[in-house]
Amino acid sequence: MKLRLSFDTAAVGLLLVIATLIGVVIFIGEQAGVRVRVDLPEDGIVGPYQTITFTFSEAFDSEMASSLISIDPVHDGYLEWTDTYTLRFTPVQPYQRNVTYRLLVEAGETASGGREVKQAQTWNFTVREPRIVYLRLQEDRYILWSAAADGNDPQPITDETLSVISFDASQDGEFVIFTSRNDQGGVDLWRVSRNGGDASVLLDCGVDRCTTPSVSPDGTRIAYSREAAGPTPDFPFGSPRIWVVDMVNGQDGPVYEDQQVLGYNPVWSPDSNKLASFDGLADTINLIDFQTGEQYLFSSNTGGPIAWSPDSTKMVYTTVEQKEAGIRTQVRLADLSINETITLVGEKDTRDYFYYALSWSSREDRAVLSFRASEDQPTQVLWVFNPGLLDGIVIADDPDYTYYNSPQWDPWGEALLFQQFKLRGEYKPEIGIWQSGMGESKFLIEGFMPQWLP
Amino acid sequence: MQTTVNRLPRNLIIVIALGVLVLVASSMIPAGFFTWLWDRLNVFATVFLGIFVEAVPYLLLGTFASGLVEVFVDRDQMSKWVSNRPAAAAVSGAFMGMLFPVCECGVVPLTRRLFRKGLPLSAGISFLLAAPVLNPIVIFSTASAFGWGQMLFWRFAVSLVIAVVVGLIFSVEQDAGNILRPVLSDHEHDHIHAVAGDSATEKVRKALLITVDEFFDMGRYLILGSMLSAGLQTFIPQSALLAVGSGPILSVLVMLLLAILLSICSTVDSFVALGFVNTFSFGSILSFLVFGPMVDIKSVMMYLQVFKRRAVFYIVVIPFMMSLLTGLIFNYLVR
Repeated sequence: MKLRLSFDTAAVGLLLVIATLIGVVIFIGEQAGVRVRVDLPEDGIVGPYQTITFTFSEAFDSEMASSLISIDPVHDGYLEWTDTYTLRFTPVQPYQRNVTYRLLVEAGETASGGREVKQAQTWNFTVREPRIVYLRLQEDRYILWSAAADGNDPQPITDETLSVISFDASQDGEFVIFTSRNDQGGVDLWRVSRNGGDASVLLDCGVDRCTTPSVSPDGTRIAYSREAAGPTPDFPFGSPRIWVVDMVNGQDGPVYEDQQVLGYNPVWSPDSNKLASFDGLADTINLIDFQTGEQYLFSSNTGGPIAWSPDSTKMVYTTVEQKEAGIRTQVRLADLSINETITLVGEKDTRDYFYYALSWSSREDRAVLSFRASEDQPTQVLWVFNPGLLDGIVIADDPDYTYYNSPQWDPWGEALLFQQFKLRGEYKPEIGIWQSGMGESKFLIEGFMPQWLP
Repeated sequence: MQTTVNRLPRNLIIVIALGVLVLVASSMIPAGFFTWLWDRLNVFATVFLGIFVEAVPYLLLGTFASGLVEVFVDRDQMSKWVSNRPAAAAVSGAFMGMLFPVCECGVVPLTRRLFRKGLPLSAGISFLLAAPVLNPIVIFSTASAFGWGQMLFWRFAVSLVIAVVVGLIFSVEQDAGNILRPVLSDHEHDHIHAVAGDSATEKVRKALLITVDEFFDMGRYLILGSMLSAGLQTFIPQSALLAVGSGPILSVLVMLLLAILLSICSTVDSFVALGFVNTFSFGSILSFLVFGPMVDIKSVMMYLQVFKRRAVFYIVVIPFMMSLLTGLIFNYLVR
């Protein structure tokens, strides 16, 4: 005899099964307590400025960040909730090399819904060695390459279909933003990951030229110079203005509403709150604080690089002053915490030293400055110095080289990359490196515009 | 005549009494009440129009598809296309949404028509529940909001499972008359039907006539459902629901209730859900995206015109429970 199941029996039976499953899920879930995930790579090796995100299975009170999470050894950084489920740790200083960090989520804390973190959970991570990223000319195109910090293992990260004009690596070393010409005569912003091979347009600038990208240290925004195309192709491009594109929501717009405020070479402060840029028309450095909305102007006529102190309160830049004895290039220091600007270097110079390239490391006591050491020679030297004491050592002064430029410190302020060009012989752009304690710098690899890829 | 004479004074007394009551009541009502009521009515009108205007094109699309099915598809073709085996019918019914991209408003008249054409119950029910999600428009709108990632995958996978399971449960019922309202098996719209030898133009004309008939028939219930939903949204503010929406269980329940209350079309609900990402868990939002297209106030009003109340109860409760289970699994065990 065949037993027929009635519709109601089947439906009610299913509902009972579902209700039982719901009970089982709730029971198991309540036993397990609040769960948490951490976005660490499987091998536990992270970049020196890696932001670490904790995702909880339940919403937490925003007051509860510091009692939930700890890091051993203790490391400076700030914890913030991006939403009620997601807590983010952003280091202020780079993680130390050769140290195993241990993240701990404490047991016993209670989520807003009343469930507890029942079991303490730990994760370990170490920091990776930084690589370098630079340009190489291949036939008629500039290709982005990366290499180990000792120059070994060079590999391209963009291909020959693109010619890179300018670029900037993110502070966490996970991606590089670069610019490349498009079919309409404009220049677009592109993004490529540290391993390469996945370059994609970040911002289609159409007929406009978007250049000199600068990634905010927190990795959320890109500042760049934008030159608007003329009404017809015969007209020249407009003057550059500073724009910012938000990597999170895609919003893109000029930093200054006033179209008379021009800008070039934007530079972010280490805390990602301030942005400085050079206005070549007004001969000023414009500075905007995105947190307070305050704007500052600093007189400068060199268009030279701007460097920030690691705590984001001081900014150094160059300017040329007309003195009684003639023109003198000076290095100025603007202290935003006390609203004071002083001449840091060159106040009493008896001749012009042509101070130019500047970079301040993540160490308060270590910066680098390029200048012309001899009146008779065009050669510039690199001077590593303590900005507080103004004492230091020259680390690159080979008279065979005409120029040392684009210095950039590694995340720990221990190694310096820079561009060097030989004065005599075959023209070959070279990348030099100096490491703390090694005295003179050395040749690393051939290439242009080196940067660290942490 | 005598009756009229007797009633008139009594009616008059009632009217006067009501008038006095209104006057007394209005003198006791706080001064700001009428301003508040006016504001609420404005909100009601705006929300009602929002829901209705959003849904109307899809209802039109669904009724038009229904008209086309009526004149261009015959019962024999239907039995060729859809398997008689319950499981196969339920699965194929769930994927029919890829051919008929309708949201929850349009799917009801279309399903009703397909039933008339002999579509098996299991296929029709799974089509009814899955089509508002498993269609190209909703795939792209969900991907636009959440990307081609986990939310998209789980929304479609869970919707498919629920639709097929409910379809299978309905396949147990051998007599469609126990599930469908009698009007379907009688002579609804019998005055318009295609006959062999009709030209293509004549068929299209008949399809359009059916569209108009069915649009106004179903439109009444869409208006009623939209008004109910607007009324609930006007007097039960979302913020009140969201305020109690923390915790792995409550958050899912709140989102399921919101799905019923908001009555948003499945083509745009992903963008609304995106707004909850920072407040609600993955599981809660997933359950909102799965359950909302299957059941909301306006669709329930329309289901009642096609199915008997007992069937509507199961069409509402089984997806509700399965969506709740899904949300809880994600909240407690997966993420």
